[in-house]
Amino acid sequence: MSHLDEGTLHALLDGELDVTEAREVQSHLGTCVACGSRLQEVKQFLAEADRLVGALEMPAATAASAPRPPRQSPPPSRRQLHEPETWDETPVLMVLDDAEALARRRRWFRALGWAAMIAVVVGGGRALLSVVGHGSLPPAHDITMAARPAPPAVASPQETGRPEQPAAQAPTAPARTLAKNRASAEKTNPAPKAAAVAPLVDSARDSADTAADEFADSAQSETETLAVGATAESVSTDSVARDTQAKDTARPEDELATRRAAAQALAELDRQRRRERAAAATAALQSAAPARADAPAAMEPPLPRTPEQRSQVYLRIGLDEAAKQLGSPVHVIEGMTPELIGLTYGRLVPGADPNRPVVRVVYVDSRGRMILLDQQRLRAGQTPSAAEGSLRWSAGDVMLYLRGEPGPDVLRSLQRRVR
Amino acid sequence: MTADLTELFEQYYGSLVRMLYRRTGDRDRAEDLAQETFARAVAAPPNNPRPWLFAVALNLVREDGRRALRQGRRLELLRTDERPEQGPENDYERNERSSAVRAALALLNERDREALLLKAEGFNYEEIAATLGLSKGAVGTTLARARRRLVEAYQSEGRGKHVAS
Repeated sequence: MSHLDEGTLHALLDGELDVTEAREVQSHLGTCVACGSRLQEVKQFLAEADRLVGALEMPAATAASAPRPPRQSPPPSRRQLHEPETWDETPVLMVLDDAEALARRRRWFRALGWAAMIAVVVGGGRALLSVVGHGSLPPAHDITMAARPAPPAVASPQETGRPEQPAAQAPTAPARTLAKNRASAEKTNPAPKAAAVAPLVDSARDSADTAADEFADSAQSETETLAVGATAESVSTDSVARDTQAKDTARPEDELATRRAAAQALAELDRQRRRERAAAATAALQSAAPARADAPAAMEPPLPRTPEQRSQVYLRIGLDEAAKQLGSPVHVIEGMTPELIGLTYGRLVPGADPNRPVVRVVYVDSRGRMILLDQQRLRAGQTPSAAEGSLRWSAGDVMLYLRGEPGPDVLRSLQRRVR
Repeated sequence: MTADLTELFEQYYGSLVRMLYRRTGDRDRAEDLAQETFARAVAAPPNNPRPWLFAVALNLVREDGRRALRQGRRLELLRTDERPEQGPENDYERNERSSAVRAALALLNERDREALLLKAEGFNYEEIAATLGLSKGAVGTTLARARRRLVEAYQSEGRGKHVAS
């Protein structure tokens, strides 16, 4: 074998040669004095370069400042909403667009639709009246009387002695606002008036031109929708009664007032929902905070779903990858079969470098108790913080940490079997 | 595997900022670039996150550098690199040394410098190769050259200083 090039020597020292390559290199080094001394030189360069780069530490202020997730919120997902402990910023939670929020917004739009409908029907009715002219029409009073049959259908639940439906449903705050909104709209009686448009349309259709015809069609369909809506939503008898009294005194200003009231109610509704959402987000954050604080301290309480979650392994890896991480073969407990091998966060392992992952070998003993054998390669310059008789010790370049659910005596006996 | 962004963030943000700080010498800029990198990860979740994140971050540094060049030195002038008041001489010495290291690092070519910084974040050769678009076999040679040059540049700068003073 010819002399070793510098890159190979660095790869050797970095633990990047596979077993066959390493063996060849080692055997050459055993016989070649020149390469042996070059290896020493390379070792010095490597250590010195590591030391120099390591000297470029950020000012202390930075190290302390907590990192924040990116400003842009991630794609919406329910999972993130339900695991708020992983997010630091309230806004992220608040802008989340989960299905519930979507439904809320849809309801909001529906309410907007109501307002629009009321405006169209009231306006439309008036426009039609002026188009057709009052000469050929029966008096407005008669028309509204003709529309009378509708209200009894609405009031029937109470007549049969059943409790009024809106009250029985114990309406939530937004629902109450909606009801208020509807009631205030009803006060200026758009519904009877809208219903009154229907016969009017019929009588007008014969003589009116195509444009008027089209308009009438749309007005009628909207009237129907409104009527169906009114029945389904079971308006309280109270407002129906007020309705009947108020309808004869409808004035143009009422249109404006209706629209304004509807807009106000909607705005209030919106505000309320935003408050609710903010409160929910805050509550979620608060309940998450303590959990986050003591997460690294001890092993997580049970209720796991998968072995990975139970052992806080974020990525399963194989033996080869583990060896790569550690720069040497992974340590195991003799006579036990690992449940899994994976990576966990350094900050979850007391004593380990919090900024680098830790290789975690997970065992489960015959009684279902979990045993974790954590391993992390020591950095150049990092001194092993091992203590005699503790369950934290170093083997070569690797720090080992043995923890688990069994008592310390059991762990200590297992420690003697770690290879 | 598409890793959860939060997990990625927790796992790599610190490391990414540190690497960017070493590369740029500017803490704010390092944090901005790291944020930008993660924002891009949101837009297109990477399959192989660590090399991806660092490759994007290093690209951003290069773009940022070119833009700064085009805009003249305006950015440099505007930037007030706030140094927290350093009390003891100990810190002063440390500052001296880190600026010497930074000067030495600046003498390396881009690829060597990046390989070195990635290695310092615990990247293995395969990851360095993936991040920088090298073949895995070339990483050892690249690192060998980078380490040697860094040490030599640092030492010769130190000598130059002593001669000058």
